[in-house]
Amino acid sequence: MKLIRNGVYVALALAASLTLARTAKTQGVDPASLVNRPTDSWPTANGDYTGDRHSTLTQITPANVADLGLAWAFEPGMQVSLKSTPILVDGILYISAPDHLWAVDARSGRMIWQYAYPPNKAFHIGHRGVAVYRDWLYLTTPDAHLVSLDSKTGQVRWNVVIGDAQKGYWSTEAPLVVHDHVLVGLSGDFDNLPGMLKSIDPETGKTQWTWYSTPPAGTPNATTGGNTWITGTYDPELNLLYWGTGNPTPTLNGSARPGNNEWTCSIVALNPDTGKLVWGFQASPHDTHDWDAVEVPILADGTFKGQPRKMLMQASRNGYFFVLDRTNGKSLLTEPFAAANWAKGIDDKGQPIPNPEKEPARDGRLVSPDEGGATNYRSPSFDPKTGLFIVSADDSYGIYFYKPEDGAYGWAGADYGLLGIGKVEAIDYQTGKIKWTHPIGDGAGSGVLTTATGLTFTGDAARNFMALRTTDGTTLWYSSVGHVENSPVTYMLDGRQYVLASAGGVLFAWALPQKAH
Amino acid sequence: MSLKKLIGIGMLVSALALTTVAALRTWGQAALQAPRPRVPSTESPASQAPPPTATPQTYPQAQIDAGQAVFQQNCAFCHGRDAGGGETGPDLTRSAVVAADVRGDQIGPVVHGGRVDKGMPSFNLSDQDLAAVVAFIHDQKTKADSEQGGRQRVSAEDLATGNATAGKAFFDGQGKCTTCHSATGDLAGIATRLQGLTLLQRMLYPGGGRGAAPVAIVTVTQADGKTITGKLAYRDEFTIALRDVTGRYRSWPTSEVKYTVNDPLQAHVELLGKYTDDEMHNVLAYLQTLK
Repeated sequence: MKLIRNGVYVALALAASLTLARTAKTQGVDPASLVNRPTDSWPTANGDYTGDRHSTLTQITPANVADLGLAWAFEPGMQVSLKSTPILVDGILYISAPDHLWAVDARSGRMIWQYAYPPNKAFHIGHRGVAVYRDWLYLTTPDAHLVSLDSKTGQVRWNVVIGDAQKGYWSTEAPLVVHDHVLVGLSGDFDNLPGMLKSIDPETGKTQWTWYSTPPAGTPNATTGGNTWITGTYDPELNLLYWGTGNPTPTLNGSARPGNNEWTCSIVALNPDTGKLVWGFQASPHDTHDWDAVEVPILADGTFKGQPRKMLMQASRNGYFFVLDRTNGKSLLTEPFAAANWAKGIDDKGQPIPNPEKEPARDGRLVSPDEGGATNYRSPSFDPKTGLFIVSADDSYGIYFYKPEDGAYGWAGADYGLLGIGKVEAIDYQTGKIKWTHPIGDGAGSGVLTTATGLTFTGDAARNFMALRTTDGTTLWYSSVGHVENSPVTYMLDGRQYVLASAGGVLFAWALPQKAH
Repeated sequence: MSLKKLIGIGMLVSALALTTVAALRTWGQAALQAPRPRVPSTESPASQAPPPTATPQTYPQAQIDAGQAVFQQNCAFCHGRDAGGGETGPDLTRSAVVAADVRGDQIGPVVHGGRVDKGMPSFNLSDQDLAAVVAFIHDQKTKADSEQGGRQRVSAEDLATGNATAGKAFFDGQGKCTTCHSATGDLAGIATRLQGLTLLQRMLYPGGGRGAAPVAIVTVTQADGKTITGKLAYRDEFTIALRDVTGRYRSWPTSEVKYTVNDPLQAHVELLGKYTDDEMHNVLAYLQTLK
């Protein structure tokens, strides 16, 4: 009898909690809440504004991670590569691929709805994820549109052009919501186009501002390029947006664009309300190797050599690890983290000085890294407890060619990757020294996630998703699901911590086993 | 209390998910057999110079249009709607098969037979549909080749800047190339077989370009002391696999055995980090004399 009464109580409590939950759900994602570090959601591509992909969840630990098992898998039902980070809001995951978006139950992996963008002939290289503002989702498209959809149904609310696909823009980016701005960047380095970051009104789709990283095409002696294709980060206290920019164009012909080519291959700080540049730092002045400096600029507060600092850290595609004071863009540290033979030193601003001998040439130059870079779109992670910046990296080599007959439009040259030797590296942010290296085979690995219990989740270059011990890189668990394509995420639902990663076009969720009653 | 109840619901959900797990097994087998591409997926697809069409062909516009429709339905998801490559299928406008094709004689067998080892299924297209798809692919290649912004070509003459005498000295001396190679043995006539960029790529890293790469040899020592030697078939942190002398595929968990790998490419990997550009050009010049 007592049991039944308790049962009724449980049912009532459950009903009450569900009602509360449902009331809260009608709000979707309030942009003001994005300053928090949530554990029951993953509301932006990088999880939160810092971009550190470090979770405070503690259910999965080094002691029990070996028990991790598959909770569910989601197959989109078509041959597709899931390079994007899923976002999670109110128990529903949203994961994208070029022209496609799926809403998936985060507890079961069951598809709720799917959306297919109309066929288009644009460049389908990949997709990084979506953004959410209240109940609205924002999806970029291969032909450089931004589509707003109802998160409940997948119905399109509006569809606006953010770049001219005919001219050569495309977009793969997961936008970032800050206040009432949907910040979205573009791609396009096979044509001479200025890089752009746009702020779009989340309600109407109207452009609020456009920041150009380079002058318009045709400006004498100026570069084009500098696109903005990986989601940036944001400091609410400083009200500064941090974004990386891509390579200058023409890509391999540096003689057509003398000087440093600001702001290509740079980290820039912008005011999110006006789009005005506050400061810029060039990871690769006068780049001639396609080394976009778009990799996630991770924000962390802590001491740097005894002094409290608001820092920004980036492991850049050109092989250098940078620590900046993010209040002003001044360099705190510049150190290589992978094979890099293209610089002849570091200047007084902390920027590598390119060696002209390693610019592409008629007879070829052997350059490390190769075009794919020392790291690429897959996100790194920063573990504040150990002060380790963990990145999936490559020692890679390529040969680069340019001759005047190649012209000054688009690629304007040729380059060929030779090989890349993959490794997960833990960089001590105060010294740039590599604390440990975990080999992952030939080629690129996946993104990285760290947790407060000292776990690092990542993938190797073969077909394994792994949990490493953050302090020393030792493997504690793995699952051979195929080559991991995206950056892992974690969240807690119903008292259960899930870890997600995609491989072979399937999204997998792992969790600790649940005991039967 | 409600939390516990919710955990219970979660358990039911994960029990249901077991069906999915079983279904995935088949998929896992297929993935195991698919070789990993040597070109990093992060490299821009448009960055390889396309091979020229060997036999220029023209097709009626109506056939091209019909081919576009068939292509969109069957091919576009992997190869892109413009045949310019997608997430899982290569750019056909830069394909050696397409460049060599004459009215479907090369493309046809690939479409009908598939490339199962690379994840491409076979397609049972009618002769008419296949001919239309071929017309569309050739038309797309013609369009792509006329675009300005793509990767440019490298000619053999561009590479002729090295000093063969200095290259020979490097080859015989500090490059230690003679540890594995001989100008009168395996490399005799190499410049007749390979030229220009292809020779340079093979010289720098034979595993990354066209042609057969030398295979690493692995010796596995089992816990019972028995050793098995064979051609390395697969290696990662957790699994080692070989093909033994009879051609049989065998694999072990790396935690259960000891193994040594003799990878003939390792010396090339180490040289990549040491070559100066002059040394690279000199060795190439020397190899170009081995006709």
